[in-house]
Amino acid sequence: MIGIVVVSHSRSLGLAVSDLAAQMVPPEARPQMRVAAGLDETTFGTDAAAIAEAIMEADSGAGVLVLVDLGSAILSAEMALEFIDPELAARTKISSAPLVEGLIAAIVTASTSATLEEVCAEAVQGLAGKQDQLGDSPADSMATPAPTEGGLRFSWMIRNPHGLHARPAAALVSGLRGIDATIRISNTTLSKGPVSASSLTSIQTLGLRRGDLMEAEIIGPESEKAYSTLTDLAHSNFGESKDIEPSINATRLDHPRQDPMRTGHQIVIGEARYIAIDPDASEYIAGDVPTELARLNAAIDAVAQTLENLDKGSTLGIYGVQLLTLKDEFTLDELRSDIQGGLPAIEAVQDRFTSFAEQFEAIDDPYLRARAEDQRGIQRMLIRALLGSEVSPGLASGILIMPELDPITAGTLDPELCLGVITTSGGASGHGVLLAQSRGFPLLTGRADARTIPDGTLLAIDPVEGRLFIDPDDEELSTLKEEQSKRAAATAEAIRLAHKPAVTGSGTRIIVEANIASIQGAHDGLEAGAEGSGLVRTEVLFADWDHAPSVDEQAEVFIAIGKALNHQTITIRTWDPGGDKPLPFLPQDPEPNPMLGERGIRVMRRLPDLLDDQLAAILLASQETPVRVMFPMITSPKEMLWARSRLVDATRKVGGQIQAGMMVETPASALRARDFLDLADFISIGTNDLTQYTLAVDRGNSSVTEVAKGDRSAVWDLIAMAADAFKGRPVCVCGDIASDPESVARLIAAGVTELSVRAPLIGMIKQAVRAVPCAVQIRE
Amino acid sequence: MAIDLMSVAGWMKDFATQIHDNADLLTDLDREIGDADHGANMDRGMRAVIDLDPSTFPSAADYLKKVGMTLVSTVGGASGPLYGTFFLRVGTAWPDVENPDLVGLALRAGLDGIIQRGKAAIGEKTLVDALSPALDEFDANAGDGMGTALQAAAVACAAGRDATIPLVARKGRASYLGERSAGHQDPGATSMTMLIEAASRTLS
Repeated sequence: MIGIVVVSHSRSLGLAVSDLAAQMVPPEARPQMRVAAGLDETTFGTDAAAIAEAIMEADSGAGVLVLVDLGSAILSAEMALEFIDPELAARTKISSAPLVEGLIAAIVTASTSATLEEVCAEAVQGLAGKQDQLGDSPADSMATPAPTEGGLRFSWMIRNPHGLHARPAAALVSGLRGIDATIRISNTTLSKGPVSASSLTSIQTLGLRRGDLMEAEIIGPESEKAYSTLTDLAHSNFGESKDIEPSINATRLDHPRQDPMRTGHQIVIGEARYIAIDPDASEYIAGDVPTELARLNAAIDAVAQTLENLDKGSTLGIYGVQLLTLKDEFTLDELRSDIQGGLPAIEAVQDRFTSFAEQFEAIDDPYLRARAEDQRGIQRMLIRALLGSEVSPGLASGILIMPELDPITAGTLDPELCLGVITTSGGASGHGVLLAQSRGFPLLTGRADARTIPDGTLLAIDPVEGRLFIDPDDEELSTLKEEQSKRAAATAEAIRLAHKPAVTGSGTRIIVEANIASIQGAHDGLEAGAEGSGLVRTEVLFADWDHAPSVDEQAEVFIAIGKALNHQTITIRTWDPGGDKPLPFLPQDPEPNPMLGERGIRVMRRLPDLLDDQLAAILLASQETPVRVMFPMITSPKEMLWARSRLVDATRKVGGQIQAGMMVETPASALRARDFLDLADFISIGTNDLTQYTLAVDRGNSSVTEVAKGDRSAVWDLIAMAADAFKGRPVCVCGDIASDPESVARLIAAGVTELSVRAPLIGMIKQAVRAVPCAVQIRE
Repeated sequence: MAIDLMSVAGWMKDFATQIHDNADLLTDLDREIGDADHGANMDRGMRAVIDLDPSTFPSAADYLKKVGMTLVSTVGGASGPLYGTFFLRVGTAWPDVENPDLVGLALRAGLDGIIQRGKAAIGEKTLVDALSPALDEFDANAGDGMGTALQAAAVACAAGRDATIPLVARKGRASYLGERSAGHQDPGATSMTMLIEAASRTLS
């Protein structure tokens, strides 16, 4: 029988409630009960040491239920668990049950020799009878929200990869619209807010990033409905459920099959056309307050009309977000009150949106910071509408130069007229830039030097080299045109041959595969000509899961990837968390130097169950589709031996037989690759990390990119050493070097047999393989 | 040499005196936003602490752990397990050589214990708001010796305590008051400042 401990601030309360409850069962059937209450007969307080003693006395081996009154009783009870034997602590449960009702329910249930869990469940339900009788029980006791002063409180950890950015925030605002409740949202992690949940703009200024705690306070007649709607929204990640790279994926879907020749890599030559993106408002003549209000309304309608038209032809969701930004209640109220205060509509629009844009720019997150452009895009359209001109900047021809590229402009660029775009101050990751790139426009971003180019000047853009030619002379021009047609021909040829094998001039067959991080990516890979995958990034694949995926769930995804790649071999890398890739279901303490910390296999040694599950899933998948497994961040044979022993255990349970390899991404494993010959069936060289660890350059730190791009002889030597040690077995390279056509010949010369690259580059890399002449094969 | 047992005992005696002399102030602060027992509770606990005979302990570390256990059993309110955990953790990590960096680590172990026990974060109007900036300053000045580090810590602790005034409580009894808890100084941050100020007087 389990024991029961009553913890109260007051000794007389503790003793009295025990007496009351004891009446419920005959003495011989009563469980062991102890009271730890008060500091003495009359002093209120709780004592962790006394509670610990009471737990030890009450336990007879079946566990102890601890019932507490409030406040420090909880803290002291939790502390008591640290004073007792860990095994006893493991079978002791502190219950949130109400003290009187919970204790009575507990004693009665315990007397039937019920288990600790059963007694605990009954105790927690102790209030149900009273609530039924008095009719004040919460509607749904399973999802009883925590009450806040007269309202409800909802907490949620954001797990959207880019945080609560425009699209999920818009889903939140529109989902809650029309519900009769006041909802205020805060970012508890950053102590920002609360702001109204009806304002998209305000929500975005909270800077809710992945991992931040969002809290909502809900008050009003329909607060229950708001709570459940919010719960549903949150569980669907605000409409982004399994969307791993939302903006990129959506962009791709938006224009699924455009001319594959328009890669955005083409060289373009044409006349400069400066787009005065900020319209000249000096001509505006303000009317009285009613006139200005009417003008504002008309302008909003005109812009809304344009956005709705754009939205109809797009699955991107950006225009919907812009519409919500435009119709944001908070924003509109502010604008109207500005106008009522005597400000002309145009100035109200200028001031308000400038201040919103500045708020976004102040956020410490590049993705949200780029949303400032959305605000300025709306501002420009409204001002144009107020001036009575076309809402969209017009369909200009030539090479367009503009301060920044907002999504509206990007969406209305006409491929027949616009050759390319140069922004003079915009960043490289705005919605507009992503959209224009996906639409195949060559782009140069952040080119301040283009500001002074007079209209009509002849320009050329080489987006691959990032070069801008201003007024090129005849000689340059003919070189450019030559390069232009060469590149176009090369693209055409690469596309034509993308599905053919890649063989060097001396007849060596090189496997060119895709790096995969999503099922969609596997489909894209096949379409681009991939011969399987040399790297399936499992930690990215499941990055937005809040719980560790089960064996079956993982196996299902792996099989889907194999299937999408036409059952060519896929190489699944086991969980590689840590460094810059956290997993929400795998909490890790922050480390001062994560790149040198607990990464990859090191995490698995702490949490072997996670690895065992994944290996079981990989083995299950291997029974449906060809699969290899590889282990990340191996530095010593001991680690590899350990990993293989887990694989042997998993094989014993699940069956199947697969090849097991390892990542070579540290100088340690490259230098001593020969030590792994008995342990790895193949190796895959992760050149990004290998470069980082060899040259001591943080791969995420842009101030040392030049070092990483500089003399890489040491990295090349390590690649050659590793490949040499594994001569005769598969040697794959899955880092960025493999995606660089210039490096392909050297990799092959070093003995690399497989290249796993970004899907869109497969055709080009295959061509680079074919261009490798016999000469470099002399090595052997 | 270590910060010896007698200095640490002196620290506790100074803290106990501060608590005793200011018990009414602490209780008054607690009356505004809590259950009006912080002064009396802490005073009871610290009186039990100074009743301990330091000469019966083999080391300062053992003495500090006993201080923790004593507070756990005598304070009664939430400050019992919180201050108790603090001293238990500080005692466990207390260095046997005089090294400001190691003392800083020991104090931080205490802060981590409090955060873990109370599940409090910075900005929730608790003693964490005073202790956390104090330890940051301690670490920043540890290179200049114990005295400088502790003085800097005491100044930062007091500033952190004062900064609790506009905050809205999210933990403990005060959180029942919600927004109304703003405008009052947190009693726990106040007693914690007394502890760090006592350290700067006795341990340098």
